[in-house]
Amino acid sequence: MSSFGFGLITAAVLAIATVGFTMQFAVTNVLNLAYGSVMINSAFVSYYLNVHGMTAWASLVGGVVTGAVVSWALNRFIFTPFQRRSLAPITVVIVALGVDLVGTFGLQAIVGGNYVSFHQSPGREFHFLGMILSGLQLVILAICVVVLGLVHWVLKYTRLGKAMRATSANPNLARNSGVKVQRVISTTWLISGALCGLAGTVLTMNTGVFEATSAQLYIVLLLAAMFLGGPGEPYGAMFGALTIGLATEISAAYINPQYKEVFAFLALLGMLTFRPYGIFGSEKTN
Amino acid sequence: MSVELTQPGLVLSTTALAAGYEGRAIVSDISIEATPGKVVSIVGPNGSGKSTLLKSLVGVVRVLDGSVTVGGNDVTNLPPEEVAKLGVGYVPQIDDVFPPLSVKENLEIGGYLLSRSEIPDRIAAVVDRFPRLKEMMHRKAGKLSGGERKMLAMGRVLMLSPSVLVLDEPTANLAPMIATQLLEEFVRGFADHGSTVLLVEQRAKSALRISNWTYVLGGGRVVLQGPPEDLQENPAFIESFLGGGARH
Ligand SMILES: Nc1ncnc2c1ncn2[C@@H]1O[C@H](COP(=O)(O)OP(=O)(O)OP(=O)(O)O)[C@@H](O)[C@H]1O
Ligand SMILES: [Mg+2]
Repeated sequence: MSSFGFGLITAAVLAIATVGFTMQFAVTNVLNLAYGSVMINSAFVSYYLNVHGMTAWASLVGGVVTGAVVSWALNRFIFTPFQRRSLAPITVVIVALGVDLVGTFGLQAIVGGNYVSFHQSPGREFHFLGMILSGLQLVILAICVVVLGLVHWVLKYTRLGKAMRATSANPNLARNSGVKVQRVISTTWLISGALCGLAGTVLTMNTGVFEATSAQLYIVLLLAAMFLGGPGEPYGAMFGALTIGLATEISAAYINPQYKEVFAFLALLGMLTFRPYGIFGSEKTN
Repeated sequence: MSVELTQPGLVLSTTALAAGYEGRAIVSDISIEATPGKVVSIVGPNGSGKSTLLKSLVGVVRVLDGSVTVGGNDVTNLPPEEVAKLGVGYVPQIDDVFPPLSVKENLEIGGYLLSRSEIPDRIAAVVDRFPRLKEMMHRKAGKLSGGERKMLAMGRVLMLSPSVLVLDEPTANLAPMIATQLLEEFVRGFADHGSTVLLVEQRAKSALRISNWTYVLGGGRVVLQGPPEDLQENPAFIESFLGGGARH
């Protein structure tokens, strides 16, 4: 049962991350393979703020802002220029992969290869429903619920959210309706980047110790969760993350935690084979 | 009806326009004009460039040469959102709605440029004209029938009270009865209320019936034009569009 508790946290963090990742793919058509490196870079900014005396909450905000700004800049100065040349979509994927490597190993070159950890205690333990969760983990769960609720509210009820969904479904028609699609896309990168920074920071706060390459395989979990829910479906992403998060942690508890990403990858392969449009996705996508 | 769905029209015209994809012209030397109160139609065989021409008018496809004006303003290569702001409502041939969004949300996006407080009244006015939509406000657009979907596509552009309607084959894939209703009741109706209508239509006979002027496109150029009465007498036109000399 304790692996269920831990799996719940993994799933919560993965849900935050996958929603941002899916949003980027759906609204801006970029499969951002550099997502993991933005997560870990945000985590390190947050970590340095923390060791230089900021509270955990303030450094968390620092991580979120870093994710937002870095993602926005990546889109503005790297992805958009490559997309503009209207080369094959694979080009941007390869560029993103390059960014990921530069982002991860560039960070490693700067911060070194040592493990670090936040200056904060996990808080006292809470027992319920047979699970043991630390105060920190409860906070992470609460953050996840609030953030996903907020994303739902934005997408469903705000002018911006509707414009984001319209842009995702049919960008030309959105423009013909008066939507400034470029601005919607920039805003999407800010929001999804904030989710990315948040996910990176709480991920590393939860695992306790981390180093520059800690999120390198995270992309496998993201892809698996996204495809499970159906690419481009934010609600599917939440469901996919919950499933993948729980499944990998529970299987890791019984088999070998080293194989976590392998399980996720197998799930991804299975989805791509049998239901490439995901469980929530429809067969026809644009 | 209490609320007008369209506004008094503006003149839409092109001068020696050329447009196409990746710098290669698909249509060229196009000079056409659509005026308030009139339905101006464009007919032509598949692939003659009708859709490309319409897209270039609304900023979706690049104009390579010549110019487009709306109400005397030069709108050549203006981004689509600016063209929409000037009162031009465009209904594309395909991909004419946002399938994952509900009917209501599609209309809300149609009214994106309105203030928040104007939108509910405007939606009420639009669905008043298309009562079928009223019963399915929360259904996803992707789940509508062909006819319902076209009504929604038209409803979306009517949200902004356009002065100029640019319609690309609105009757494609519709049952003949619905097609006739759409053209004679709605499309002709918009022009009769004073707005400008530029219509691309496959059904040449139906198009002529509601048009004041018709352009015939062939190989990316205007090859014939005139009022429907004249075209109906023109042997070349009858040959290609009205079915081998047989007059209806
Ligand atoms: N996105 C595009 N990129 C390159 N060429 C295109 C594109 N869209 C259309 N074309 C080409 O432009 C030409 C004209 O196409 P267009 O869709 O404008 O014709 P149309 O008259 O509207 O035909 P239809 O009656 O079938 O709708 C065709 O040869 C088509 O292959
Ligand atoms: Mg066409």
